Amino acid sequence: MLTSARIVKTACAFAIVAVAATIGGFGSAAAQPGDYSTLPVDPNLITDSLAYTAAPLDINPGGQPGVTAEYTHREGGTREITTTILILADAEAATASVAGAAAEVANAQTQPAAVGIGGTMVSGTSPDGTQSVTVLTFTQGNAATTIEFDGPPNDPVPADMVIELGQKQDTAIKDWQQA
Amino acid sequence: MRRFATALAVAALMTGSVVTAQSATAAQTAHDTTVYTVPAPAPAQQKVQALDCHGTTGAMGCGPGWFWRDGWRGWACYPC
Repeated sequence: MLTSARIVKTACAFAIVAVAATIGGFGSAAAQPGDYSTLPVDPNLITDSLAYTAAPLDINPGGQPGVTAEYTHREGGTREITTTILILADAEAATASVAGAAAEVANAQTQPAAVGIGGTMVSGTSPDGTQSVTVLTFTQGNAATTIEFDGPPNDPVPADMVIELGQKQDTAIKDWQQA
Repeated sequence: MRRFATALAVAALMTGSVVTAQSATAAQTAHDTTVYTVPAPAPAQQKVQALDCHGTTGAMGCGPGWFWRDGWRGWACYPC
């Protein structure tokens, strides 16, 4: 009888240790404050999974907390997606940050986008007309996000792809903020 | 007398046929002033055979009106 009680106690002890280790493990895997490397969403998630190659992340671009990620299409680099996420002091600062993000788009056509807060999509061309340019901007709390799509002048990015990538990016930011 | 009657009957039959035939065609041979309008032929229906951008019926199952290429979403079907 004593032996059975010991076995039960030992099993309980192992179970407690296992649960504690699991919880501790999850805790350490969560994003650390100031770790922006997990923020950008790879566009290959919504493509054939091999279309884009990511450049090394630019952490804290221009000294501003956040991250910039550049993804280049394998087809001769004719298409490029650049995601910039800046973490600012508050939501107002984030909104102000994205206000002029699409200022350099020529022949700009602006339309609202169902992405994050204040999602806006500006489509047009580069100032010299050699590229199609689409800029999606939105905020989520104190995070200001700009996703720019540069491509051939006769092949602008499809709007549904802009929205889909933007929504996935918005979800990733919210998950990161709640972690 | 009998011969005369037979000949008369035959003559009457022949005459009757001829007269009847003339009257049957009278309406047809009269000058018809009715202006008939021939209905214009229906406009030829343009037969559209949907093809993909290469003039075939579609590659990789894209179907007509779509084009298989390496675009923004990688290799996929894109509208022409």
